Amino acid sequence: MITNRKRLSSGLSVTSKVFVRSRNGNALKIVREHYLRNDIPCYSHACHKCQEIVKPDAQGQLPKFILSSSPTKTKDGVSHYVVIDTNIILHAIDLLENTQCFYDVIVPQTVLEEVRNRSFPIYQRLRNLVKSEDKRFVVFHNEYNEATYVNREKGQSINDRNDHAIRKVASWFNSHLNTENSPTPIHIIFICNDVDNCTKAKQEGIDARSLVDYIDSLPNGEDLRDLIPSDIVLPGNFEGDQNETVFPEYYSNARIMAGIKNGTLYQGMLNISSYNYLQGTVSVPAFKKPLLIIGSKNLNRAFNSDSVIVELLPKDKWKEPSSTIIEEGSIGADDNAGDDEDDLGEETGGVVSDKERVFLAQEAMKATSSKTNESRLQPTAKIVGVVRRSWRYYVGQIAPSSVSEETGHSSRSCFVILMDKLLPKVRIRTRKAKEYLGQRIVIVVDSWPSNSRYPNGHFVRTLGEIESAEAETEALLLEHDVEYRPFSKNVLDCLPKEGDNWVVPDMTDPQDPQLKKRVDLRDRLVCSIDPPGCVDIDDALHARVLPNGNYEVGVHIADVTHFVKPNTALDQEGASRGTSVYLVDKRIDMLPMLLGTNLCSLKPFVDRFAFSVIWELDENANILKVDYMKSVIKSRQAFSYEQAQLRIDDPTQTDELTNSMRVLLKLSKKLKQGRMDAGALNLASPEVKVHMDSETSDPQEVEIKKLLETNSLVEEFMLFANISVARKIYDSYPQTAMLRRHAPPPATNFETLNDMLNVRKNGMSISLESSKALADSLDRIVDPNDPYFNTLIRIMSTRCMMAAEYFPSGSYGYPEFRHYGLAVDIYTHFTSPIRRYCDVVVHRQLAGAIGYENLDLSHRDKQRMEMIVKNINKRHRNAQFAGRSSIEYYVGQVMRNNEAEHEGYVIKCFNNGIVVLVPKFGVEGLIKLETMGDLATANYNEDKYELTFTDLKGAQRTVAMFDKVTVDVKSVKDEVSGKRRAQLMLR
Amino acid sequence: MTLLSPAERSYLRDSLTASPIIRPDSRTPHQFRPIEAKTSFLSSSNGSARVRLIDGSECIVSVKAKVVDLASVSNLVEVDIDVDSFRDDSNFVTNLKFHILNSLANFPSTVLKLTTKYGYKLFIDVIVTSHSSYPLTLISLATYLALKTARLPKLVSEVNDEEIAEQPTFADDWAESTLIQDLLDAPFQPPVLITLGIIGNNIIFDPSIEEEQIIDNSLVIGFYNGRVITPINTISLSSISNGVNSIVLVKALELGNKYGGMVVKALDTLIEQDIDDENIF
Repeated sequence: MITNRKRLSSGLSVTSKVFVRSRNGNALKIVREHYLRNDIPCYSHACHKCQEIVKPDAQGQLPKFILSSSPTKTKDGVSHYVVIDTNIILHAIDLLENTQCFYDVIVPQTVLEEVRNRSFPIYQRLRNLVKSEDKRFVVFHNEYNEATYVNREKGQSINDRNDHAIRKVASWFNSHLNTENSPTPIHIIFICNDVDNCTKAKQEGIDARSLVDYIDSLPNGEDLRDLIPSDIVLPGNFEGDQNETVFPEYYSNARIMAGIKNGTLYQGMLNISSYNYLQGTVSVPAFKKPLLIIGSKNLNRAFNSDSVIVELLPKDKWKEPSSTIIEEGSIGADDNAGDDEDDLGEETGGVVSDKERVFLAQEAMKATSSKTNESRLQPTAKIVGVVRRSWRYYVGQIAPSSVSEETGHSSRSCFVILMDKLLPKVRIRTRKAKEYLGQRIVIVVDSWPSNSRYPNGHFVRTLGEIESAEAETEALLLEHDVEYRPFSKNVLDCLPKEGDNWVVPDMTDPQDPQLKKRVDLRDRLVCSIDPPGCVDIDDALHARVLPNGNYEVGVHIADVTHFVKPNTALDQEGASRGTSVYLVDKRIDMLPMLLGTNLCSLKPFVDRFAFSVIWELDENANILKVDYMKSVIKSRQAFSYEQAQLRIDDPTQTDELTNSMRVLLKLSKKLKQGRMDAGALNLASPEVKVHMDSETSDPQEVEIKKLLETNSLVEEFMLFANISVARKIYDSYPQTAMLRRHAPPPATNFETLNDMLNVRKNGMSISLESSKALADSLDRIVDPNDPYFNTLIRIMSTRCMMAAEYFPSGSYGYPEFRHYGLAVDIYTHFTSPIRRYCDVVVHRQLAGAIGYENLDLSHRDKQRMEMIVKNINKRHRNAQFAGRSSIEYYVGQVMRNNEAEHEGYVIKCFNNGIVVLVPKFGVEGLIKLETMGDLATANYNEDKYELTFTDLKGAQRTVAMFDKVTVDVKSVKDEVSGKRRAQLMLR
Repeated sequence: MTLLSPAERSYLRDSLTASPIIRPDSRTPHQFRPIEAKTSFLSSSNGSARVRLIDGSECIVSVKAKVVDLASVSNLVEVDIDVDSFRDDSNFVTNLKFHILNSLANFPSTVLKLTTKYGYKLFIDVIVTSHSSYPLTLISLATYLALKTARLPKLVSEVNDEEIAEQPTFADDWAESTLIQDLLDAPFQPPVLITLGIIGNNIIFDPSIEEEQIIDNSLVIGFYNGRVITPINTISLSSISNGVNSIVLVKALELGNKYGGMVVKALDTLIEQDIDDENIF
């Protein structure tokens, strides 16, 4: 209810709003005062009046007029501005961002607020559109404008009131510009897809059009039609597909809130099994084991990694996790496959009361925490609500079988198979399906109504031919949400003006007081050791023997924060990228090239700014003293690992630099020994490196990464520096120090692996009491006949581990800071500020801690640190995945030319197939039973993890967990997903 | 407290015991002092009222509703009274509170039930900012007005939550909230407490501060649903304390039944003229 206005002074009046807010079951009456003013301009260059009424803001800036005085024209030559409705933005943001249409757009404040409440990512994109000014978007603050503010009528829903406010904006602009002052008529078009709202607008004399009508009225409308989202073309549904299936409706918000409160519903993130797209798990803090979600009806339209609400199923529906492989196959044939028909009977069971559900939850708690293995039954659940969708851009390709043969100009629906196997196929509408066949395309999911078997989406753009390196690289960057666009102008503006010619200022005549605080270390014999061809050198080392017989060892890290100051555009860009991403053929930088490869890079023979950690160590590498300082260094040499190794090993080299490297090596071995004794883990992952042909940049061969002593030399000192710095910043900033922790793995993670070891390898087991015990037990697991077996177990153990994470020190207690893998009590990342944002923050905190400069507020504020940490943890993970899939893709390309027989190990066993890891390529592949032998004869012994079947030659064969097998490795392109992957055939 | 001289006391007593009664402010025996009232003026309350008397006495009442788990509360109406210059735990305030709470004993609490599990609990907060005569009637009138104009937000989630819990959710539009009367589907008239002064065999309504010092005794009667209801209490407002004889009691009830309705009607008219004006400025 809105009450009358009262004029406070000329140009300012006040009114009030009264509404009810439901919170935690309570109803609060909220009264807000609302101020209205008359100096909000229309932002149009065509307007004569508004230039006079504008007033400067708090910074003394006058509002900027954006809308062109000669705006774009429709087909009929009508110059127009566009007022858009909320639903257009929510569904067609891609179209708004398209450079071929939508110029001079007025976004009413009401719309902006509605967008923010509905979808924050879209809101931010809209904000960016407005900020960039390229497309002349303006936000008109109609809610604060006397002329356009509308009251909520009695009995009017808030949506109706907002619609009214938006229409008011359109009609106000029309009368403001055309009847009062603009020299040329400017037509106002109101775009809205709500039929009711359109009708009302037309009655009020506004030119209201649907999105389709508007696009059609543009000169280039034909090209743009495909970009219109599906649910706007045909609200709701694709015709003819209705009621193909009925998913249960989601619970109401009121029921979900109450259910979570009384412990009958649970919230968690859905993880779809990578072997069975119809099975997912949801981890819920209340249960020790994740809840199983089986079948598409129970999954109820949720996507992988959606945040969902689940309800337990009755005990008789509890199941063992399926040991069958199910992949979403090609379209058509299996359109009806995969659903548990027995789900249908479920709804008839009558109402289950909350009391019974609470009892069920207690049962489930017992079942998940029981140590005994007598029953492998796991509680199952169904999804009853989706809190937050993980929908983003998806890359996929059109399923050939879903494209109809008819040629015609009307748009037809077809299926898009997404690259991510865990996601269902998406239905889109396009007229150019044939054209897009065989291409990687980007799509967006719009909706998934309960009566549709598949989600509906729309086409965004094409990336290019499947298997072309550009398309594949871009696809995997998109799939992992890696920002790969070039740095924008305002970011590059933050770099030093001198560019590549920037040099370290003369240290002998320091003007800048900060230069005084820098220590001149150019006399130390510093060198860097990196992988061959490394251009972004962010660390260098030195060592020398002190007169008292102790050693002075220094780690020098590129002084990135000298160039990246807090709260600049450059800093924000770095913070949002979080990390550089390394692909096989490409590097996506976190910071612009100029810094990474030149100004910050500790190149040999030139002066560079550095952040140094200098220790005094005794013979046994115990720390006697540690100092931190901003410094100037001059690297004497940039070695590759191999060069450094050769130089150390060559007894004829006796110069000072080589000797100091020998000192470093000696100390690093002591450090490593100390770490190992403390129980640091030596885990393994099947790391491979792809060699590229230098001319064609085609991948040539795959090599497993070799480790030299010098690798571990650098690594040890980096760990050493990280630990020292972590202690220092934690000491100075106990609440907000940026640290990194690695939690011990929960015992349940190892249950299956230990059981397998016990059954298959005569009672071998991995001990979990401490990291030391785990490290020792891993050392004991050896197969005398097979040296690789130990590595295999290490690889498998790695997968059972928790992921390390960044955190601000205030979020955990000191004992939980522990880094399990490294076996240290406190740890952080300090040594790679060029490619990790965490290190940038740590540099600033360390600079603050040693009194070099004041620490920016954002790194002293716990909440803002939490936000930074959350983002970099996510970016870090995505970068790893992107790197891995890049290798996977190239390995696939290499195998194309190298089909051969290789050794592999069985790492998973199902009742209809096995998964084999081939160490040579670091790939793993699924071998389905039907390619190995007769399905009918197969017998899977779950307790012994062995699969017995009659092979194609008719012989009885048994394969079991950890078996060494010989496989034919072949690279095949999956016609459906367009993905090339290793196809393994059992020999 | 104004103290009267012996001559004044004697004069007043004579005129009040005379027939017809002559009151110092020339009111008829059953006439109230003029009141000035305003409803729904506290924007953040569900209902509110302010009543002022001609002598500057003023009382503000706010009614707030909070959703509670029905199983966890014993009563759905709570009253809190604050009187200027009196301690909250003083006899004076506790007595006032007792009277008001007692009069609300037959409040139709079923209308406060939202679902099988949840209901509204009403918190009636009374502030007497200034008063000269005994403020009970003042408070009662203000409470009447506040309750009559109190609005409760409309529930939009399921009403039946016995089997499956639902967190109550409400319509966001304040205009959709309803008066208790509309929920009740019948006229809603909370009880009104009337103070009567007894002098000899005469009875006067709403005694003023001067009259309070003369009268033999006072009666508090409740008026609800068109007639006087129990309990009927005596209170002593002056140093004189005489018993109440049965004739006077019967007379008091008669007068109460006769004039109580007019009091309620006057208040209702006041609400009608005042309603729908939620301007906070």
